[in-house]
Amino acid sequence: MARFRIMRLLALRNLLSHKVSSAIVGGIIVFGTFLVVLGTSILDTIDEAMARGITASLAGHLQVYSADAQDDLALFGGGFMGNAEIGTIPDFAVVRKKLEAIDNVEAVIPMGMSLHTDVPASELDLAITRLRQAVATGDPGEIDSLAQQIRDMAADIEEEQNKTRAIARKEEQVRIDERLEILRRVRSEAFWQALSRTPEEELTYLDGKLAPLSLEGEMLWMRNLGTDLDRFAERFDRFELVAGELVPTGRRGLLLAERFCEDQLKNKVARDLDQIFTAVTERGQKIAQDPETKDKARRLPGQYRRVTYDISPEDAALIVERLAPLVGVGKNIEETIKTLLTVTDENLAAHHKAFYEQVAPHIRLYKAKVGDTLTLRSYTKSGYIKSLNVRIWGIYRFKSLEKSDLAGAQNLLDIVSFRELYGIMTKEKQEELSAIRKEVGAAAVNRDDAEAMLFGGGDALETRAQQTDMDDAEIFGADGALAVARAESDGFDPTQVDQGLALNAAVILKDPDRLDETRAQIAAVSKAEGLNLQVVDWQQASGIVGQLIIVIRIVLYVAIFIIFLVALAIINNSMVMATLERIDEIGTMRALGAQRSFVMGVFLLETLILGAFAGLVGAVAGAAVVGLLGHAGIPAPNDIMIFVFSGPRLFPAVGASNVIFALAVIFLVSLASTFYPARIAARISPVVAMQSKE
Amino acid sequence: MLSSLLCVLVLSAAPTTPLSEPQMVEILKTIDDRQRNSGDYTALAYIEQKERDKDDLLYEAVIYRRDDDDKLMILFTRPKAEAGKGYLRLDKNLFFYDPSVGKWERRTERERIGGTGSQRSDFDESRLAEEYNPTYVGAEKLGAFGVHQLELRAKPGADVTYPVMRLWVDEKTINILKAQELALSGKLMRTTYYPKWNTLFSEDKGKEVYFPQEIRIYDEVEKGNSTLVVMRKVDLKSLESNIFTKAWLESKSR
Repeated sequence: MARFRIMRLLALRNLLSHKVSSAIVGGIIVFGTFLVVLGTSILDTIDEAMARGITASLAGHLQVYSADAQDDLALFGGGFMGNAEIGTIPDFAVVRKKLEAIDNVEAVIPMGMSLHTDVPASELDLAITRLRQAVATGDPGEIDSLAQQIRDMAADIEEEQNKTRAIARKEEQVRIDERLEILRRVRSEAFWQALSRTPEEELTYLDGKLAPLSLEGEMLWMRNLGTDLDRFAERFDRFELVAGELVPTGRRGLLLAERFCEDQLKNKVARDLDQIFTAVTERGQKIAQDPETKDKARRLPGQYRRVTYDISPEDAALIVERLAPLVGVGKNIEETIKTLLTVTDENLAAHHKAFYEQVAPHIRLYKAKVGDTLTLRSYTKSGYIKSLNVRIWGIYRFKSLEKSDLAGAQNLLDIVSFRELYGIMTKEKQEELSAIRKEVGAAAVNRDDAEAMLFGGGDALETRAQQTDMDDAEIFGADGALAVARAESDGFDPTQVDQGLALNAAVILKDPDRLDETRAQIAAVSKAEGLNLQVVDWQQASGIVGQLIIVIRIVLYVAIFIIFLVALAIINNSMVMATLERIDEIGTMRALGAQRSFVMGVFLLETLILGAFAGLVGAVAGAAVVGLLGHAGIPAPNDIMIFVFSGPRLFPAVGASNVIFALAVIFLVSLASTFYPARIAARISPVVAMQSKE
Repeated sequence: MLSSLLCVLVLSAAPTTPLSEPQMVEILKTIDDRQRNSGDYTALAYIEQKERDKDDLLYEAVIYRRDDDDKLMILFTRPKAEAGKGYLRLDKNLFFYDPSVGKWERRTERERIGGTGSQRSDFDESRLAEEYNPTYVGAEKLGAFGVHQLELRAKPGADVTYPVMRLWVDEKTINILKAQELALSGKLMRTTYYPKWNTLFSEDKGKEVYFPQEIRIYDEVEKGNSTLVVMRKVDLKSLESNIFTKAWLESKSR
């Protein structure tokens, strides 16, 4: 004990007598410990947040999918964005039954992600389609309203064409003149009078001549997750309905993601205005200074037609009147909207508010809304194109991930509709195709042999064919029309949800802490029962973004490793220097009977005392900063970080494990860095020490 | 008829002599005229698409044409899941109708008919002389047949699927045996063979109407993909006047 006390006193004396080197080494240790505590605390919080966010929103704790998959499952998008080849689970009911028999498995939910498109149509195409329906139903009020709308659109296109003509070359002018003639005809009274006499002729003219002059409709790509909607809403507690209702049990339907609606369905002018508003109010940018926001604001007034097309003449008068105090009196609707969309840093708040209060209620703010029916189209696995009308029942989001585009990219679709759009080749269909092929009896000709096979023999090229009467009865049957394969109905037997294929399935556990154990159990059951499944945890299943945390952790550990490597070199160097400076002292101590172990102990203790003190200071500082961040929150700078933080802000918390880990690392680094100089010091003999003095 | 005969005689007499521009234009007009019918045209077609590592796509479709009005309709009749779907060409617009959802969509000129490698132009009337300017490439052999190779470039403003075509025309019969379609960059997109031509007497036209009995299309971009079109039956009788309308096509599915 007395020996240790002397060692401690000597170590303390040495530390205090070499203040500069002690301060440098101590500073490095403080910084290293601070970084370890701060970094590991943030990473652990992210880990927990992601685990909560991902497992409770889309992935479950584990995911199972075919062992024969060509690609990895990536729920939040990998390189294939929803069209990855992950194989199929042919009979989900069997998988559910077998996996739910495992004691820690709470629920197994079928899933399948696929890209679908909505049938594109321009505003003009839509108006003409509605006019066709109004003519068919004989609704004069609707016909007049649509006729006015189409004439207004024609007037706008005419204005654009006239502008283009002014700068066009002569040959182009000829084509523009042909278009102008079409536009003049459509705007004439005579054309609309003729609509009542020869509707098909006039509607065909609008379809064939006028509609191609407007911009094409934008293709709407949808990433739809087919699932058991009832159990999805019940089991994933981050799920939150924000509009409409859940799809009733046994009905086809879509639940649109709120972010998808904002990013894809919203009127482009409103969307751009929102983006400018968010940049200014939430990110503190200035229209006058930020190039991107400035450019967006500059282009906004030019898009006024995307707003005015939707406004009826009655609504236009009302809007003009109500906006006059803001944009000035005596303006027509076009000028009013243009002025409203001319935004600056000064007027943005007022114009944004006026747009939503006075204009938005009178336009089609979203391309589709709750209650509408979307026509989903996909290229099925059998190669044919399949379209399906599906009603939008509601809009949903994942709590705390409201602002994440990644988490809000997928809409939810009932799995029965998903299966139809996925469209595997059935045995029945294969037999039908074989019968048709057999009837025709045409032989396949390989590309490389085609010329030799088709023309090598010099057979006669021309043959006189026989006239064949093809009457309607032969083509269309006795009914005079073809039987069409339509979706069975808007509803289905709820037991069908489990009876059929899924691409993957989410496994929700009773006790998530037993994840690894349950994963092994599922793998064993799959093997024993021949389910042919592979099991991945939520982090693997979520794709590249979900695994970002692993990358961040590696980067942090590499940074810590480098810092401590530098610390190790500096401590080592400074202790070697201290040893050389203290040869006399060590020689004297040794001459007085100090053992080598005593000398070594003094040096090790010296570093350990410094390490413990500096480590504690660093740990306290790190914990304090984590505490402050935990109070204020770290804002997520972009969409990916919103997803990683599982919300717009991360509130880190420090745990005992973070501090213990940091101090343990410091202890090891201190020991390792002092071991070599301590050995040198211990090997100094009294004789050598005295000789060096001479 | 006389111009066709003269054309055949002139070309047969001097097979290896480079053709002048008027001669080439005459060939194109002959090809167009032979396939044109003054009245209407109905054909029952079989379309088969083969793609590497995928199931074959098969269709049976009825093709309706009224060449005088530049109208075309393709109505799928089999397999039963595809029955009632159809394309309608009105002026320069191609529309697609899917009765299962009751919707019409506007499609582009390069639409792959039913997802196969065939396009609208494979079923529509031939308008080569109207849409392209020819240049002579040379005389050569295609299998056992002596052929003229022509290169066609689209006329300004012409509404064509591909801006450049190469044609191999049989010296003796003036039938197209092979065609290649190229993008403006010169990239080869498709190679098509017409190994058999049928003729049918048209009372409206007062002479024979030509149609390829078999069309074999090879995708040069997605190598390994090919399409076969077989015209199983052709009928030249007059069609109902209102047939080329959206309303008519809609009425043919229940």
